[in-house]
Amino acid sequence: MNTAELKRMANHLRLLAVDMVYKGKDGHPGPALSIADIVSTLFFDEMNINPEDPQWEDRDRFILSKGHACPIYYAALSEKGYFGEKIKDFKLRALGTVFQGHPVMNKTKGVDMTSGSLGNGISIGTGMAIAGKYKKKDYNVFVIVGDGELQEGVCWEGINSAAGHNLDNMIVFVDKNGWQSGGPIEETIGSNNIKERFEAFQWHAQEIDGHDIDAIKEAIANAKAAKGKPSVIVCNCVKGKGLPYMENNNAWHKGVPTDEQYEEAVKILGGAE
Amino acid sequence: MADFKGTREAFAQAIIDMAAEDNRIMFVSPDSLKAMRATKFAELYPEEYVEVGISEQNAVNTAAGLAATGLIPFVGTYAGFLTMRACEQMRTFVAYPNLNVKFVGINSGLLGGEREGVTHQFYEDLGILSNIPNYTILTPADGPQTYHAVKAAAEIEGPVYVRAGSGRETEVYDKDTTFSMDGIRILKEYGNDTLLLSSGFVLDRVLTAAEILKEQGINVIVGDINILYGKDPSKILEAIKKTDKIVTVEDHNVNGGMGAYISKLVVENAPKSVKRIGLTTFGESGPAKEVADVYGFSPENIAKVVAEGLK
Repeated sequence: MNTAELKRMANHLRLLAVDMVYKGKDGHPGPALSIADIVSTLFFDEMNINPEDPQWEDRDRFILSKGHACPIYYAALSEKGYFGEKIKDFKLRALGTVFQGHPVMNKTKGVDMTSGSLGNGISIGTGMAIAGKYKKKDYNVFVIVGDGELQEGVCWEGINSAAGHNLDNMIVFVDKNGWQSGGPIEETIGSNNIKERFEAFQWHAQEIDGHDIDAIKEAIANAKAAKGKPSVIVCNCVKGKGLPYMENNNAWHKGVPTDEQYEEAVKILGGAE
Repeated sequence: MADFKGTREAFAQAIIDMAAEDNRIMFVSPDSLKAMRATKFAELYPEEYVEVGISEQNAVNTAAGLAATGLIPFVGTYAGFLTMRACEQMRTFVAYPNLNVKFVGINSGLLGGEREGVTHQFYEDLGILSNIPNYTILTPADGPQTYHAVKAAAEIEGPVYVRAGSGRETEVYDKDTTFSMDGIRILKEYGNDTLLLSSGFVLDRVLTAAEILKEQGINVIVGDINILYGKDPSKILEAIKKTDKIVTVEDHNVNGGMGAYISKLVVENAPKSVKRIGLTTFGESGPAKEVADVYGFSPENIAKVVAEGLK
């Protein structure tokens, strides 16, 4: 897809995410909208994956470490064709659904790893990346983590280990939107020097606008060109990006749109397919 | 099979032997290479040896990632650093997706960690894992059985935990005796006065207790329980129906381990008296034999508990 198409897809995924939270009456729309442009670029331009063969051994791997943002993930999998016909009503979080409250491996086609308990995606990704090297496969492992999530100690165990193993087949995106469940990160523990922290751990590090598709593409190309080191792309994002009433309003960390807010979302994001 | 002297050496020899034939076998080490006696494995199979540094949660997650691509990683280190520090990773990222990760927890029990003190003695591991679906829990009784348990673990689909010690185990089994998948092996059948069940590295003590009892005219059946919460407990059920009294002996807290498992089977299938010998407190440092004796695992005390139960 070209940049304009990826941008349209990102907004369409945003609409689907809002739609599933609205219909399911539960979920995390703000964190999902924050990463829509990254997810769109990965699933519709970058990743070497095959919806016809979700377990294809040579596929790129994807871990949504901030698993609560899964509405955007489920939307991308559906649009990519993992479930045959595109899903109209995801029945998010309903009893018996494959679209669980957080992503579940072996339950939902296309989900490479269970996630939701924060902090674990990077170290699991290192295992997949080490396996890729061991098996002499040239797949890449992509992980999306939240900036708040980086407060979890096990993240840094994985970051340390990934550098030690020279995992240049691993690219981590940090959704740096400045918010965590309880409030602004600046007011909880403060963690703005993310890029520098990764650099101190011997990672190849870049910082970009996480809503600029071209910048995302370019950063991925740079990351792939950096040999001998894992790569981080710190993405400056807006939580709730795409819907003015949701942007930078942490009430939407978890929340359900009213009928009016849903209509507004359809108006703003609709017809973008 | 090469010779080895304890459970950790048995683990290392087993993965060396398996790696020779199966390139899916990996060893993930949170700086446990020496503790697991696996230096030779790392020399022979440098690509299959994954060192992640002192980071157990990371080790378990790394293994989950390896297993998600079809490999069979073994994570080996101190039992509590796995089942406590990395408990959530063992649950959510291994057991829940039912990944093929194998765990070997050393220094289990008072005997396993005897001189190290409480920080390195783990008598809660089985209780923790028995609450997590999908785990197969293997409790070999000595070094030779650990060798075969580790090999059996690779054959079992899904997560497996093998409980190991630290070299203070007394060998009971022949080297060639494979790991029974029945969950129980009857080692003595002197009579039906009591079914005396052992789990793990106290088996030699239990067998000695059976001899003491025999001299007193009390004739017991001795069984070695080597799988907890296995899929098919039919052989254990057969055994528990043979006597009116049961005594269990395990180097673990009395809650959550073998005694609790047997109590459950008994209550559900053949209600009768079960007396559990095990730990109810934290332990302490000391030489293996003395520590075990003080905490109730002397053959004499085991025999005494059996005899008193018959009064």
